[in-house]
Amino acid sequence: MEFGPIWRSLKRNKAGYILIATQIAVTMAIMINSVAIMQQRAQDMGRPSGMDEANIFTFSSTAFVPETDMQSLIEEDLDAVRRLPGVVDVNATNSFPLRQGGSASGFALEPGAGKDSISAAYYFVDEHGLAAFGANLVDGANFAPNEVIWAAEDSDEWPGTAIVSQAFAKALFPEETGSYVGKTMFFDESRPVQIVGVVERLQAPWKGWEDVENAMFVPLKRDAEYQRYVVRTEPGMRDTLMPQVEEMLSQSNKNRIIEDVRTMEDVRTLAYLGDSAMIKMLTFIVTLLLVITGLGIVGLASFNVSRRTRQIGIRRALGATKTQVVRYFQVENFLVSGLGIAAGAVLAVALNLVLVNSFSLRPLAWYVVPVAMLVMWSVGQLAVIGPARRASRVSPAIATRSG
Amino acid sequence: MLKMTKVSKIYRTDTVETHALREFSLEVREGEFVSVTGPSGSGKTTFLNIAGLLEELTSGTYELDGRDISSLSDTERSRVRNEKIGFIFQSFNLIPELNVFDNVDVPLRYRGFKADERKKRIQHSLELVGLASRMQHYPAQLSGGQQQRVAIARALAGEPRFLLADEPTGNLDTEMAKSVLDLLSEINAKGTTIIMVTHELALADRARRNIFVRDGHLADRPPEFRLAAVAGQR
Amino acid sequence: MFRYYLKLGVLSIRANPALSALMVAAIGIGIGACMTITTIHHVMSGNPIPHKSEELYFVQIDSWSPDEPYDEPNEPPEQSTYIDATGLYALGKDEFPHVISYKSGRVLEPKTEGELPFQVSSRATTHAFFRMFDVPFLHGAPWDAAADDALERVTVLSRPLAERVFGSDDPVGRSVVLNGETYRVVGVLADWDPLPKFYDLNNNPYEEPEQLYLPFTVAIAGEHGSWGNTNCWKPFDGGYEAFLGSECVWIQTWVELPTAADKARYEDMLEAYVEEQKALGRFPRPMNNRLSDVEEWMQIEEVVDEDVSVLLGLAVLFLVVCLLNTIGLLLAKVMRRGKDISLRRALGASKQSLFAQYITEAGLIGMAGGLLGILLTWLGLRGVENLFTGMDFVQRLVVMDWSMVALAVLLAVASALAAALYPTWRAANVTPASQLRIQ
Repeated sequence: MEFGPIWRSLKRNKAGYILIATQIAVTMAIMINSVAIMQQRAQDMGRPSGMDEANIFTFSSTAFVPETDMQSLIEEDLDAVRRLPGVVDVNATNSFPLRQGGSASGFALEPGAGKDSISAAYYFVDEHGLAAFGANLVDGANFAPNEVIWAAEDSDEWPGTAIVSQAFAKALFPEETGSYVGKTMFFDESRPVQIVGVVERLQAPWKGWEDVENAMFVPLKRDAEYQRYVVRTEPGMRDTLMPQVEEMLSQSNKNRIIEDVRTMEDVRTLAYLGDSAMIKMLTFIVTLLLVITGLGIVGLASFNVSRRTRQIGIRRALGATKTQVVRYFQVENFLVSGLGIAAGAVLAVALNLVLVNSFSLRPLAWYVVPVAMLVMWSVGQLAVIGPARRASRVSPAIATRSG
Repeated sequence: MLKMTKVSKIYRTDTVETHALREFSLEVREGEFVSVTGPSGSGKTTFLNIAGLLEELTSGTYELDGRDISSLSDTERSRVRNEKIGFIFQSFNLIPELNVFDNVDVPLRYRGFKADERKKRIQHSLELVGLASRMQHYPAQLSGGQQQRVAIARALAGEPRFLLADEPTGNLDTEMAKSVLDLLSEINAKGTTIIMVTHELALADRARRNIFVRDGHLADRPPEFRLAAVAGQR
Repeated sequence: MFRYYLKLGVLSIRANPALSALMVAAIGIGIGACMTITTIHHVMSGNPIPHKSEELYFVQIDSWSPDEPYDEPNEPPEQSTYIDATGLYALGKDEFPHVISYKSGRVLEPKTEGELPFQVSSRATTHAFFRMFDVPFLHGAPWDAAADDALERVTVLSRPLAERVFGSDDPVGRSVVLNGETYRVVGVLADWDPLPKFYDLNNNPYEEPEQLYLPFTVAIAGEHGSWGNTNCWKPFDGGYEAFLGSECVWIQTWVELPTAADKARYEDMLEAYVEEQKALGRFPRPMNNRLSDVEEWMQIEEVVDEDVSVLLGLAVLFLVVCLLNTIGLLLAKVMRRGKDISLRRALGASKQSLFAQYITEAGLIGMAGGLLGILLTWLGLRGVENLFTGMDFVQRLVVMDWSMVALAVLLAVASALAAALYPTWRAANVTPASQLRIQ
């Protein structure tokens, strides 16, 4: 309808409108970038670890009496746990996905010093590892029992086989279209390691690591004093078995401490606590911001209505219907919001560039800006509706009142 | 053209009931120039508001251009105001943040005319009041007389069947008042019905018919009011 | 006159309760959001040892691989190898006392019947640690250099651990059993909680200090494994001896250099050391030594969480929105009161006095907003604490001190005054007569 005169009239009263447009612009810049951050976090949090997380719990065992025979201690533990009804399988390892601590190394395609290598985390397991982690083997075969070696804590022994995550295999052999099984990589400059199996997924222990999808199982058991146990149960049995196992192992050998007994779900929650908190905080900030900006629009529109009471009466006298009066304020808001939104889109993209360059934020998805525009426009229209209705109730008889 | 029969208007607050018009009847024929005078609080403004469809009446009937308007909806009343009535107010009632062109444009917009039609009419009516050269000016940049002429142009642009003028010269000096009145006479001469509400008797006498309101009734103009009003003239 | 303005301000605030409440709320919420994050940022980036932070230097020398830097673009390793840590320690023994240390853990076996063994975090360090980092003692004293050299099994306990094991008694002279070995307690720390934990930024920089301290030499002899990061670039043979001789970095090295001259001489010494090692076939990369004082080191290690920096930026923008909101509302208020202003001007109020009147009112609103802001900051911090249930260290970050309270009020009043500037200027410029007749 009457864009022209409304626009020209806006220009006569700049200050208030510039304020609200700026407010909308900054609100939009914050909103868009918050949403971008939230999206990224939610995406990260949604990545599966490659484990059967729902049915797994873990704990650590620390032996503290010197000269403890770790090998038999571990074997006894594994044996005892495995015999419990409801336990699918158990393994003692150095770490597991989402634990935020563990080991990784570079693996090269050729032997020798200074060769390009790709990093992957490694988990020491035996032939029960796949079942205990609940990893999904998509190619090749599990370790055979005789493939698994025992090594002292500081030993440099390293087995010649590995089961790798698909992502890691793909990173190592990007050209390969067939099977990765049988391919060889090199560890520690010169030790060949042959891929004997590929699992669909296996994350490294650090959720924020750039190579988080690169991980492997290594058929090795270390007689270290410090062990991480991974226990996988039948569905529904986890919560019953967890305290049972803790009690049993604490009693079975008093020369060690059982600690950090946690379900995998809790491990995940803890790993992503910062991210979920960030999402909640940003949601809160954005909601509050929209409310404040909405109230600002209500405030300014109310002020405009009371300032223009007479003008509204004149317009009514000159034949404006109530609907047309409401429409006037809506169009006015649409124009002011439009300015703010256009500036906001530019500001948002600029802020996003800063965040992408200086922080680990990924660039905006294409649809975030248009959706944010729609949201801002809706907030504006929603906020203006009350004052506009009030305006439409101004009596046209005001026009004949002098002074 | 305009026919009011036993129109009453009562304003009610919690404690007070004010009878602004009591069974007021009046008929104005096509092409007339009628003045309505009366002392303060006599009901002039109420009459104007009701005649101009700015307020609803409490009882009685009001026919405008052969149509009973007492039962119209708010939207229909807006439409009638827009199409049939041209308003001229004492304080001009130009919209300060719009320039002359946009001010005259206001009722035409609500009428739904196309852009070129509006432009033609605005041009034409501003020429009529001799302000075609001031289209880009804002009200604050014009003298009182010029502002009122813009208001008249605005009232005329929609080619209404009748003009309602409320103290059209109340805020103007004598000379400007005269030119505005001349303009109104001219417009009337071309066939537009005019009703002018004023407390200035000299002004009222410019009309072809004088109506006097007192206590919400039509009344004879009493001689003492004549004197008082003359004494109060500028 | 100020009291008169105060009275007018209060009257005006009372006359427009909704508008005034909206302004107070906008400022309060803006301050609340901003101060919540600022408080956390303040704790995270605080200087944990202000009186000495410019004399303590973290030592980095580039022992990394010839093929690639430790970190782009050409960063030396964040820790030292055993060879270099002990090498520098020996070299500086007389002139430049070093602290070399790493975090580890032990299992403590209480002597009380029925009490279960429990794990404690330990710091393997050299005797100068306590003096260099100004660690306060409740009982006893640090061990001495001789204890380091003689591999004496001595330990210093943190206060909470001492109280857990020995109650409120002074345990100096008594002993604790760690992993089957008996250590003599030589001291108990008074409350000591450097935030961030600057001396070891390897692990979480906001975690509490270790529960007990024991000589570095003892830890090495006992093969205490590191609880921090160990990074290696060159393969090495099996066994702990080989690990100690490897190019793996895992030890934090600090040196105290009170004057610029000390620093210059130390730099020379460091260069000579690296040259010497190069001659021995180590240090394949170009010379790349770095000394960072405490604050520089915290900066390099980015102790302020990235999320907090992002949130701080967003919170500041948030405050900007709240202020724009306030400016708009104040402007509306002033323009609605055009008549009142005009009348006051007609009655002889000068521009200055009108300016003072409206600024006073804005100041009042700012104060109210600031108080609300403090309350909201407190609530915000409780909210953050709640969101991070399960991460105990966060509790240490959500503490509001008086400086933050003062900052909140200051920021609120400054914000309100800044917001009031333009509307007030507009008010003061209303001409005496303009508003008296129109409408």
